[in-house]
Amino acid sequence: MPELDQLIHAPARLQAMTILSAVSEAEFATLRTALEVSDSVLSKHISALADAGYVRVRKGVLAGRRTTWITLTSTGRKALRDHVAALRRLIDLVD
Amino acid sequence: MLSNMESMPLPQRPDDPLSALAAADRARDRLATSLRLPSGLFPVLAVAIASQMGAAAYGVAAQTTTGLAVALAGAAAFLGVAALVVVRFRRINGVRVDGLASTIILGTGTLSTLVYLGAFVAATWAAFESRWWLVVTAAAVGGAGYSLGAWRWWRAYRRDPVERAGGASPRVLALLAVAALVGFAVLVVGS
Repeated sequence: MPELDQLIHAPARLQAMTILSAVSEAEFATLRTALEVSDSVLSKHISALADAGYVRVRKGVLAGRRTTWITLTSTGRKALRDHVAALRRLIDLVD
Repeated sequence: MLSNMESMPLPQRPDDPLSALAAADRARDRLATSLRLPSGLFPVLAVAIASQMGAAAYGVAAQTTTGLAVALAGAAAFLGVAALVVVRFRRINGVRVDGLASTIILGTGTLSTLVYLGAFVAATWAAFESRWWLVVTAAAVGGAGYSLGAWRWWRAYRRDPVERAGGASPRVLALLAVAALVGFAVLVVGS
């Protein structure tokens, strides 16, 4: 059975990391809107991913207001690639 | 909620991983297609590049302090436009895309680089020959071609954002920096 990364398995986390793979850095509010989740839910997901070293979080300023920016790290990029490959193998296995 | 998610069983049915992947891809594509460029980016880029190229060609051919000042003013104007584009893109979309800065603004894409180099050589030759109408034409063609290269990159990014989100490699950036320094040194020595 292909090994799945439990940390990325939650749909919101998989989607967040997939979105982050398409940009260099995303603002917290942009990610929240894209995922259609609340601030607190996204905050928990991001904290868990940051603790694992999958994303990096920094504070910044955008249009005069304080913002939080999130970047996918190289470790996170590799974890995402491996997880997606495992999911594909799982699909192939069942097919 | 988080603990509930973490304790969820891993997908065992074929539709689970399939739908998980499809949902993630949809979320990424939704974001990529929702990104907007600052209005009038391509015409502004074409004019900025044409002005920079014309000013640089004049500066190289003139070999005077005034020529150097004109070339530097052209470069400064272009860098100002480039910085404005990057800041506005971030402000409009709430994301940063390094590929945008390096390919659209620094012209690291193949088409933009080739068009720029070809047009710059033509404009500089024309400036040495004092054929000013040809300097203007070459700079205009260079600006338009460069902008076309940027437009093509943007379309390619929207089709495959993961492959193109990253910017130019440190090696390419170092080469560009060296080229800029050499150009500046030639201008200073010649003036």
